[in-house]
Amino acid sequence: MLILGCGNPDRADDAAGLLVAQRLRELGIDAREHGGDMLGLMDEWGADDEVILVDAVVSAGKPGTITTWDARTAALPPDCFPCSTHALGVAEAVELARALNRLPRSLMVYGIEAGNFEPGGAPSPEVWNAVERLAQDLAAASPKPLVTVPADPPNTV
Amino acid sequence: MSDTGHKSRTITVDCLARVEGEGALFVKLKGDKVTDVKLKIFEPPRLFEAFLRGRHFSEAPDIAARICGICPIAYQMSAVHAMERALGVAIDPAVRMLRRLFYCGEWIESHALHIFLLHAPDFLGYPDAIQMARDHRELVETGLRLKKIGNRIVSLMGGREIHPVSACVGGFYKVPAEQDLRALVEDLKWALEASVKTTRVVAGLDFPDFQQDYEFVSLCHPEEYPLNEGRLVSNKGLDIDVAEYEDHFVEQHMKHSNALHSVLRGRGSYLVGPLARYNLNFAHLPDVAQQAARDSHLALPCRNPFQSIVVRAVELVFACAEALRIIDSYTRPELPHVEIAVHAGVGSAATEAPRGILYHRYSIDDRGLIRFAKIVPPTSQNQRRIEEDLWHFVSQVASRPTDEVTWKCEQAVRNYDPCISCATHFLRLQIERE
Repeated sequence: MLILGCGNPDRADDAAGLLVAQRLRELGIDAREHGGDMLGLMDEWGADDEVILVDAVVSAGKPGTITTWDARTAALPPDCFPCSTHALGVAEAVELARALNRLPRSLMVYGIEAGNFEPGGAPSPEVWNAVERLAQDLAAASPKPLVTVPADPPNTV
Repeated sequence: MSDTGHKSRTITVDCLARVEGEGALFVKLKGDKVTDVKLKIFEPPRLFEAFLRGRHFSEAPDIAARICGICPIAYQMSAVHAMERALGVAIDPAVRMLRRLFYCGEWIESHALHIFLLHAPDFLGYPDAIQMARDHRELVETGLRLKKIGNRIVSLMGGREIHPVSACVGGFYKVPAEQDLRALVEDLKWALEASVKTTRVVAGLDFPDFQQDYEFVSLCHPEEYPLNEGRLVSNKGLDIDVAEYEDHFVEQHMKHSNALHSVLRGRGSYLVGPLARYNLNFAHLPDVAQQAARDSHLALPCRNPFQSIVVRAVELVFACAEALRIIDSYTRPELPHVEIAVHAGVGSAATEAPRGILYHRYSIDDRGLIRFAKIVPPTSQNQRRIEEDLWHFVSQVASRPTDEVTWKCEQAVRNYDPCISCATHFLRLQIERE
């Protein structure tokens, strides 16, 4: 199992994926951080890998809401994943991998709803809370596909 | 008779993709006649010049690099050279070559991204690289591998792929060992061969018949294809030291844009970037790049902005060959950087970002604190020229169906690989027909 956390450490809630990877390592689970160029994502995995990808998302949900997609069975919603500058975001990178027949054997994508991308800002309590819950879930068990977990109230980390 | 006649038409494209930054393109037509073109950049001013004031001169390269995720090295290089001119610093020749290598890495990753993933879909009739990849897998895989090799150079030289952290005034904080660079050679040999093939492939694309009488401006160096150094030269008589830049180039505020327009004083728009460099510096391209241009039947001078994709491919050949040359002759310098004696001073520098000249000027006090900073990115310099291209180009294609005109306008903007975030992030396109 390969776990990849994506994001930008300097843009508040956009750090969510990176924080999950860091927390998993603290819990003794191997996880990598992937920042910067998302085009490099498909070089991280092989065809036979089972991959979990975690990133911040922007949809209509409340900050801290965790949404899961099985990227092997359906395209990721392109408008939910923040784009990196002058390059492709996670959704485009995954769809490019699909077009090039370079998806791994399984690819589960966990999105943590972000509410704040302030440059230099700290992640919100809701996102910190979601990071902890997702890291604990991933550490405790194999991923539970296609579930949506409501966000906890703020300041309950 | 066109399909439009003299009726009014308004065409709105909510998001012109495959450019960096947020802005809008407004084209107004009366019948088939263009009556207004505005490249509206509404990305808020990013105020980096103000952020720099009061900071120590040594912080400028890393602060300025944050302006852009795709050309941070350009910002670092212009900053270090300007500071070195302000402080009278002479660097080790080996460090100078490492800076060229660093820049080659950025050119490779930036040009590969633009050629294969951002611009090629326009010519091959796809909305984006993902759709194109389904039919042109080998082409996209080549682009991805080339970009990765550029990223590798940047990562090795700069500590990380994006916003590298190794460049400093006086040299680098850390320089690579010979064996570290030799590890890049096999990849670069493949990249050189792939770039030559790419030049032939993109030269075979279908280009609109569109040529303009541009004033091309680039750095020119007596012995090298320009990256870090040179005089500012144009095809219409400009030949100045970079210190004279502000005597000849002025920035103008336009009501419709948050990025200042640069013009040549008394002359107007000018063009910076691959076309300008190629036209003014062909003699300094290595033989392999010159031959790739000839084999592709690329004109010299090339005045068709749509063929910038071919010129970028020629520059990919150059960057790979230059990187190999530098690695072959590299001996690690004794010291990664020279010590700096701080004093008050003023220094300016321009280097060749992938999109063209990037000008910096700094004034520092006797404690080394920045009192004034001025940064003129290439997209600001090309803004006026992009608008003028559209005035002329839309006139040529205005009689075609609106969807096609819209597509062509977007393609014409992407000729410049504009980086609006640099200039002040999505470009929205609106065509209004009266």
